[in-house]
Amino acid sequence: MKSLDGQEETTSTQEEVPEWLLDLDRVGFVRRLLFARKWYGGDWWFVLISGILLLFIIIVGIFPQWFAPYDPKVEVGPSLLPPGEAPPSFWLLTKSEGGEIELQDIADKTNNIGFIIGSAASQAMREAVDELNDTAPEGTRYQPRQQRFETLEEGLEALIAGEIDGFIASPEEIGSALDNYPSLQADKTLRERGEKGFVFGTNQIGQDVLSRIIWGTRIALIVGLSSAVVSLVVGVPLGLISGFVGGPFDRILTLLMDSIYSFPGLILAISIAAVLGAGIGNIIVSIAVLYVPTYFRIVRGQTLSVKKELYVEAARSLGTKWRDILTKYILPNVIPSVVIIFSVNVGDAILTEAGLSFLGFGLPPDTPDWGIDLARGQDYVRRAWWLITYPGLMVTLVTLSFSMLGESLSEILNPRLTER
Amino acid sequence: MDNLINDKNNNDYLVEVQNLIKWFPVQTTFIDQLFSKERDFVRAVDGVSFNIRRGEVLGLAGESGSGKTTIGRVTIGLEEKTKGNVIFDGIDLSTLSAEELRKLRRRMQVIFQDPLASLNPRMSLGDAIRQGLDIHYPETANNHRDMVLDIMEKVGLSPAKFFYNKFPHQISGGQRQRVVIARALVTQPDLILADEPIAMADVSVRALLLDLMVQLKDEFNLTYLFITHDLATAKYICDRIAILYLGKIVEISELTEVYAYPLHPYTRALLAAVPVPDPHDRRTEPMPKGEIPNPINPPPGCRFHPRCPYAQEICSQQEPFLRELRIGHEVACHFAEDFLTES
Amino acid sequence: MTEKEILMQVRNLSVMYKTKLGEVSAVDNVSFDIHKGEILGLVGESGCGKSTMGKALMRMIQPPGKITSGQIIVDGEDIMTYDQKQMRDFRGRKVSMIFQDPMTSLNPVQRVDEHIVEAIQVHESKTKTEEALSRAEGLIQRLGIRKNRMKSYPHQLSGGMRQRVMVGLGLVLNANLIIADEATTSLDVIVEAQLADELRDIRETFGVSLLVITHNIALVAELSDRLAVMYAGHIVEMGDVETVFDTPLHPYTKGLLKSIPNIKLDDTEKLYKMPGEPPNLTHPPTGCRFHPRCPYAMPICSKYEPYFKEVLPGRAVKCWLYIDHPEKESETIEVTA
Repeated sequence: MKSLDGQEETTSTQEEVPEWLLDLDRVGFVRRLLFARKWYGGDWWFVLISGILLLFIIIVGIFPQWFAPYDPKVEVGPSLLPPGEAPPSFWLLTKSEGGEIELQDIADKTNNIGFIIGSAASQAMREAVDELNDTAPEGTRYQPRQQRFETLEEGLEALIAGEIDGFIASPEEIGSALDNYPSLQADKTLRERGEKGFVFGTNQIGQDVLSRIIWGTRIALIVGLSSAVVSLVVGVPLGLISGFVGGPFDRILTLLMDSIYSFPGLILAISIAAVLGAGIGNIIVSIAVLYVPTYFRIVRGQTLSVKKELYVEAARSLGTKWRDILTKYILPNVIPSVVIIFSVNVGDAILTEAGLSFLGFGLPPDTPDWGIDLARGQDYVRRAWWLITYPGLMVTLVTLSFSMLGESLSEILNPRLTER
Repeated sequence: MDNLINDKNNNDYLVEVQNLIKWFPVQTTFIDQLFSKERDFVRAVDGVSFNIRRGEVLGLAGESGSGKTTIGRVTIGLEEKTKGNVIFDGIDLSTLSAEELRKLRRRMQVIFQDPLASLNPRMSLGDAIRQGLDIHYPETANNHRDMVLDIMEKVGLSPAKFFYNKFPHQISGGQRQRVVIARALVTQPDLILADEPIAMADVSVRALLLDLMVQLKDEFNLTYLFITHDLATAKYICDRIAILYLGKIVEISELTEVYAYPLHPYTRALLAAVPVPDPHDRRTEPMPKGEIPNPINPPPGCRFHPRCPYAQEICSQQEPFLRELRIGHEVACHFAEDFLTES
Repeated sequence: MTEKEILMQVRNLSVMYKTKLGEVSAVDNVSFDIHKGEILGLVGESGCGKSTMGKALMRMIQPPGKITSGQIIVDGEDIMTYDQKQMRDFRGRKVSMIFQDPMTSLNPVQRVDEHIVEAIQVHESKTKTEEALSRAEGLIQRLGIRKNRMKSYPHQLSGGMRQRVMVGLGLVLNANLIIADEATTSLDVIVEAQLADELRDIRETFGVSLLVITHNIALVAELSDRLAVMYAGHIVEMGDVETVFDTPLHPYTKGLLKSIPNIKLDDTEKLYKMPGEPPNLTHPPTGCRFHPRCPYAMPICSKYEPYFKEVLPGRAVKCWLYIDHPEKESETIEVTA
C-alpha cells in the first residue's frame, strides 16, 4: 500500500512510515523555524522585527556605556543646543581703544562681563574662565562678575559707557551690529565653533540628550521587567489556585482583584508610591501591584475553562492527583496567555514608570530617565522641542515593540488544534 | 482495604449496580431560592439495577435523556450517586475515601467519545499514555516508556517511536482514538467504560476501531460497559444490551435476544427506527409521535406511555417493573406478554 | 422508465479553499443532474467535499473558499451569472437549505412565526403580515408542530422541532429543491426517522426535490431514490439506490458498503475495514484520488485521472476498471443492466 503524505493509518499489515518523515522529526528546531515561516506568513515577520528590535533595546539597556557617547549626568555642551548643531563660537567684544584685550585681562573679580540673558554665552564664559583657572598659576583666580542684558544694544551701550569691561556673544547674536559701533572690537577666539554637535541636542543643563536616553533605557527596562516579573509571580499562582479551588475563597479574591483592577492605573500607582516613598524598589512594587489583577483574571478565567475540558476529566479518571492536574494539565495550557500578557505588560509598565517619574515620584531627580526628561522638557516645548520629542519617541517605540511581540506570539503559541 | 483494591476477587459479577438514582439539581436563580422551597431536579437516572459479568460487553443503549452516560460515569466513580449502590468487584464505592477511590481508578478506565478533547493538547502522546503507569506504579518509572511503546504497537500506532513524541493535533482522528484506547489499557484495568467511543470517528475508521476493541478485550481479559446510541454498531460488539428510556431500563437481555424478540414498545420502535443499509428493506412501521419528555418532570406511571401506541389506563398510573419474560430477558412493561407471541 | 425532468444541472463545478497549508481542492470538476421531485443522496466521509458541494449549489461559499469554475443551471439559467439581487431571490425561493445544527441556524431572538413571516416577506414583500402568518400556521401544523408552539423561541424547542421549522422555512416559499446538509446527524434515532418520514411526505405532496447530504449511508438507503458517492472532491459513482447497493462498481463504494454496520441480525458479515485514510486535499494523489487505498489499483490509476463515465443510462462511475485507455493492460469491465 503506497504511503500518503505521511499521516498513515497503519493496519495489521504493519505499514512503514517513510524515511523522510522520520528524518524530519530528527532535524529539529532550526528546520522547524524555517517551516514556521511558511506556516505563519505575515505574522512571522512581526515577531522577527519586534524581536530584533527588542533584542537591540535590551542590549542597549544592559550595556549603555557602549552606546552612549557621553556621561548622561555631566554637562557636556552648551544648554539647549539643537540636535546636530555644533556649538556656536563666541566672540569677546571690548573697546578698541584698549588695544588687544583677551579674556585674561578682564577676568578679575573686579571686572564685569556681560551677555544677553538666556544666551549660551554665559556657559561659554564659564567654560573659558574655568580653562583660565586651570592653567593659571597658584594664587591667581579668575572670577569676573556676570551681567545680563535684555538686548544686544543695551549691552553694547553699557560696554561703550564703561559699565562693563567685556561682552560675550555669538556671531549670530551680534549679526551686523558691530558696523554701528566702530569703537568696539571683537576677539574672535574666545570660543571656536565646535566641530561636532550632539545628535539629539542638549537639554537645559547641557547634558547630551542621546546619552540620557540610552541610559534611560536601562532604568526603563529594569523597572519594566522587574515589576512585570513580580506581577506575574504573584498573579499567576493566585489565579490558578483561585480558579481551581473555587468557592468563597475564589469569590473574595476575585472581589479584591477586581477592586484593584477598577482603579485607574496611574492614580493607583501614585498612591502606592506616595505611601511607600521614594526609591526604585518602591516604584517597582507600586507598578507591580497594578498588574497583578490582570494576570489573576486571565489565569483564573483560563483555569476555569480548562478545568471543564474533557482531558482534565480524563486525567481525573486516570487517578491523577489534583496537584498534578494543576501543574501538568492546567498550567501548560495557561502559559501561552501568560507569556502574551507579560510582553504587553512590560511595555505598559515602562509607560507607567515614565508617568510616575514624570510626576516626580520615586526616582532621584537627576536620574537619566525618560519620564524625568519628559517632565523637565515640558517648559521648553517651543524653544527646544528635542527635549521631549526623543524621550517620548523612545517610550512609544519600546512599548510598541513589546506589544507587537506579544500580539504576534499569540498566533504562534497556540497549537493548531484543527487539521484538514 | 488496600488488598481489596489491588487484587482481583472472585465474585460472579465484576460490577453490581443496585437501585441507582442520580438526580442533578437544576440551577436556580437567587430569587427563586429565596422564595420557593422546592427545587427541581433533572432525574437523569431514576432507579436502575443491573450487573456486569466478567469479560462481557454490556451495552447501555438509548437516546438523549436516557441517562446512559450518567450511569456509566457513576459506575466508574466519576460522578457521585444520589442513592443506591455501586459495587465494583465486591467493593462498595461509597465506602471508599477519596484517596482509595483514586487508587482504585487503576482498575477502571474510560474511553471517551471525543478523542481530540480528551487528550491534553500540550502533552505528547507517549506522555499521555504513560500517565496511568506513572501515577499508580511510580516505582517502575524506568520501564514505563517501553511499556507504552509496547501498547502503542498493539493498538496499531506503528512505528511507536515515531508517534511517542507527537502531539494530538499532529495525528488523525482515528489515530487519536487509538491513543485514548492505549491510555485506557496501559494499567491493565478490569473494567473499561467506553462512552460512544466511535461516534466521532470517520465511517471507514469505525470498523477498524471496533475490531481493535474486540481484539483487545480478548487479549487483556477486559470487561466493557459500552454506551451507545447506535444500535447498529452495538450489534458488532455487545454481548448483552440494556435499553434505557428517560432514566430507567426498559429492557435488558442478550443482544441477539433483544434484537430478535423485542418485547417493549420503545425497544420495538427504536429498533425499527434505525436505518437499514438495504434499499430493498425499508421501514414500513410508523414511528411514535412526539419526542422524549423533559427529565425534570417525567410522565407518571410508565414513562413511555404518552407516546406508546399500546398504552392503556394502567400505564399512566402504575410504573411497570422489570420482569423476566423469557430466559435472561427482562422487560418493564405491563403488556409485554402480548409481544411474546410475535416473532 | 419515464423521462425524468431535470431541475438542476451541475457542470464542471470546482471549489477551492485557500488554507495556510496550501490550496485545497474541495470539489474538483464535478458534473451531475438533480431531477424534479427526486430524493438524491450525496454520501461520503468527512472531508470528501459533500458539504462544500451543498453550499456551492447555493453559491454560499465564503472566502477563503471560492467556486473556481463550473455552471449551475436551473430553469435554463446559469446561477453563476446571477448578480447579488438575483441570488437573494434564488436562495429561499428556488433552493433552500437545512443545516446540521438547527440551534445556530435559527435566530435565537425570533419566534417561530416571526421566522416564517420574515422569510415570506423578504421574498414576497407585498405580502401582508396576517396573510403571511396564516400561511405559516398552515405549514407548521402540516409539519407536525402544534399551534401553541408558534410563539416559541428556538431555545424552547427540541432539536427535532427546530429542524422542522427549518424545513418549514424552506417550504413556505415553495422552493423546488431543499438541500439537507447532515440535517439529521444531531438528532436522536426516532426523531431522525420521524423527520425522514416527514421529508418523504413533503416530496409526495409538494413535488419538492431533496438533496440529502450525509455520511449516514443507511439513512440514504432508507430515504433516497438515487445515490451519489463522493470521495476526495469527486463523485465516484452514481445511480439508482437499489442498483448501487446491489452492484456497486467503484472499489470505494464496494468497500464503503461493506463497512457499514447493519442492525439486522441476519446480516452476519464482519465489517470490512477500509485500509488507509482519506487523502490530504492540498496534495491529492496523482491520477485517481483513491488509488493509494484501492485493492484493484493498476499502474494507469496513478498516472491519469479517470473521467466520470456513464456506463449505463442513469449509471455512472469514475474508475479505470470500466473505461478504456490505450495504456491499460487489463480488460475493461463491461457493465450490464
